[in-house]
Amino acid sequence: MKEFSQLFHDLDEATKTNDRLDHLVQYLTDADPKDSIWVCWFLAGNRIKGAIKTSELRTFASERSGLPQWLLEECHDRVGDLAETISLLIASQGEGRGKVGLAELIGKFIEPMVGMEMEQRRENIFAAWDFLGEKDFLPFHKLLTGGFRMGVSKGNLCKALARVGGVQPAIIAQRLAGNWSPKTLRMEGILNPGVDEDRVCQPFPFCLANPLQEEVENLGSVKDWQMEWKWDGIRAQLINRGGTCMIWSRGDESVGHSFPEVMDAGKWLPGDLCLDGEILAWGQEGMRSFSRLQTRLGRKDPGPTILRREPVRFQAYDILRMEGSDLRSLPMEERRKKLEITLSSLPADFPIGLSPLVEGESWTNLAKLRQESRARGVEGFMLKKKNSSYESGRVKGSWYKWKIDPYLADMVVVSAQLGHGKRSNLYSDYSLAVWNEQGELVTVAKAYSGLSDSEIEKVDRFVRKNITGKFGPVRSVKPSMVFEIAFEGARSSGRHKSGVALRFPRIKRWRTDKKMEEADTLETIRGFTGMTGETKLADGTKVDREGNLLLF
Amino acid sequence: MSNSRDNQILILKKEGLYCPAGDFYVDPRGQVKRALITHAHSDHARSGHENYLCSDSCRPLLQIRVGQKNKIESIPFGKKQTIQDAIVSFHPAGHILGSSQIRIEVRGRVWVVSGDYKPQADRTCEPFELVSCHGFISECTFGLPVYRWQPEEEIYDQINRWWKHNKDSGQGSLVFAYSLGKAQRIVAGLDPSIGLIYAHSAVHPFLEHYQNAGISLPEIKKIEKDTVIANGMVIAPPAVEDSSWMKKFRGVKRGFASGWMAIRGPRRRKNIDRGFVLSDHADWPGLIDVITGTGAEVVKLTHGNGDALSRFLGEKGINASVLNESSFREEELD
Repeated sequence: MKEFSQLFHDLDEATKTNDRLDHLVQYLTDADPKDSIWVCWFLAGNRIKGAIKTSELRTFASERSGLPQWLLEECHDRVGDLAETISLLIASQGEGRGKVGLAELIGKFIEPMVGMEMEQRRENIFAAWDFLGEKDFLPFHKLLTGGFRMGVSKGNLCKALARVGGVQPAIIAQRLAGNWSPKTLRMEGILNPGVDEDRVCQPFPFCLANPLQEEVENLGSVKDWQMEWKWDGIRAQLINRGGTCMIWSRGDESVGHSFPEVMDAGKWLPGDLCLDGEILAWGQEGMRSFSRLQTRLGRKDPGPTILRREPVRFQAYDILRMEGSDLRSLPMEERRKKLEITLSSLPADFPIGLSPLVEGESWTNLAKLRQESRARGVEGFMLKKKNSSYESGRVKGSWYKWKIDPYLADMVVVSAQLGHGKRSNLYSDYSLAVWNEQGELVTVAKAYSGLSDSEIEKVDRFVRKNITGKFGPVRSVKPSMVFEIAFEGARSSGRHKSGVALRFPRIKRWRTDKKMEEADTLETIRGFTGMTGETKLADGTKVDREGNLLLF
Repeated sequence: MSNSRDNQILILKKEGLYCPAGDFYVDPRGQVKRALITHAHSDHARSGHENYLCSDSCRPLLQIRVGQKNKIESIPFGKKQTIQDAIVSFHPAGHILGSSQIRIEVRGRVWVVSGDYKPQADRTCEPFELVSCHGFISECTFGLPVYRWQPEEEIYDQINRWWKHNKDSGQGSLVFAYSLGKAQRIVAGLDPSIGLIYAHSAVHPFLEHYQNAGISLPEIKKIEKDTVIANGMVIAPPAVEDSSWMKKFRGVKRGFASGWMAIRGPRRRKNIDRGFVLSDHADWPGLIDVITGTGAEVVKLTHGNGDALSRFLGEKGINASVLNESSFREEELD
């Protein structure tokens, strides 16, 4: 545990990505593989579920520290992070004397709690608190509450492992993709320089595009680029291996069960193949809106009614494996040819199709065509360099999303919540409202990003001085701050009182020059997103002029 | 104040705490006839008053703060002085050199204004003295139990090890610390065998008065135009962090010493390599010990978020409340 705690604190204190990488490489080189496999699993974004409820942890911490629970909540409010709060409140009594490794510790104190009765859990936690040393507290509580991120992205984890094992990061990334646990995978398996036959049903790490931030003309000749419409759906890889089909989302989740018709169709494709594409709501008339697709998401084994009413289609735009060989290092142009051959002569109503290319003689023509994006229900263009290989993660210079400009509207901040990580004790998550027909502020969005650090601190100070009510972690705030919000669209929603929820809302800027009366209206938002006034009203939050949340 | 017998001892006016029996203010704003000053930090010691009274060791520091033109009287710690119908005396607060709690006695009732205080050991100032009183006006900058300080030796050890480590990797070190109090306190614990110690010019004027008060500090060099700090240690006030002055120190490892560094959020938001939890203020156990130790029947809390502390004290049967909500500031200097 000592090595792991040291790694935790080293990562926490490091301010530069490269330093973090060095610390991680050092740890992975030195540590017992039994322990480091757990570190890989956590850093890959996994957590041990159901070990303890945070409400119980609060109760136990209050008992142990002798502090009333309300005071623990005050502290949590200041610190922003429950694991850290508890670590600060409970003085360590152990010396970290037990020389157990991370794996042993998890096996001793964390895993057994899943399924324990509350009394046993209390005993278990108290025993852990006696056992652990001062430096182990925060990492232990982080594991327990499931918030272990530590500023190391999955990409950097792969880089570190690649350095340790002398293996390509892309291969490591594939080994870490999909569902695995420290029980099913060993460090040798991750670092093995050989080929892995058994992982071919796993997805490849997705190649991601950067937003185009310069003039499109700067990309050079239009002839060097392949253009596609940017679909508004769910990015996914479809794998067929000898009649076994799987669909993986970008979050490395297996999502095939939600789309049985695509799975069935996938089995008929040539064997041992991996396609990259987008799942879209798709009816007789062609593509449908993202909100139609949402009725299919997260639904296991959808019934015949919904399958008939909300059909979907997988639009393929890349091919990553064919007849068992990895095509990712081939140029885009050649992959495209192979993709077209593979998907040629499929019936029109087949739920797997080829995402068409967009032809444009010049950037000017394309820019004109791009104006049609909203009417076509797409988000703009994807630009892929014809000679580019399929890289892991976000690449520079070869894939761009050339999106249409977002919608903009001025909105009023009506409530705030503490952020996470670096912003864990700052009110940095905001609910935003616009005026409805009755002259009430109704929330339409939550936004987390877009302000600078110093602006966030200023907003935080304002929020703290203007809190009008507490509702769990939410603080209602006296309305007055106006933010300009950029967003991609709107759909009807049960989450907000307005009946409208925005897509990808983010803060464009803080309109210190605007009064809340000048904020936009719900009608305006419905208007420019083409929604009718007849959205169903829902049970979300509503706020009166004084900033009181209207809960009933 | 709330207790009827204490009604007239201290009143909160817009300039600050006022004692009608002695016609004086404690740490006032604006312009008043007579100001009693707890210590020489700028949020307590402001220029523009007619007469100042402070502790002897505070006086030279206060003079620098308010300028030579202002008239300052001082008395030794513990010595009682009568001002009209009030008897006042200054008692060490352990915050910085010369910092005082001010004891005010009127018609047999005693109130103590704590100023900023710290009961923990500090080799650069007079040790905190617990003063019994009926009413206690306490700061509560760090009034939550997540704030608990380690002994200063432990922090000195961390700073020196960090400095040594940076030196061994060929890098200089810089610690941000307020120029009066915190800067001297850090310097006092630095190990001069590691390397040379430099300080920003804002720190220097106070140094001789520390030496005059018998506090031994290692040699501190000025930073001239052509100074190369190499593997040395620089102490600088936080205010220069974003200034062009910092250009000189590209590639130098940055630390920040403050009680606020106890929590990761503020630590990570400051663009620094290392936070050291070293405070001039009382931590939570310190506040509880002192407040209960004074035996005060009435406690008023200032500076900081006193709501939690007053509720906690209330549940322990102590009549505590927050003195002035408008004086609430989220980040007290430390």
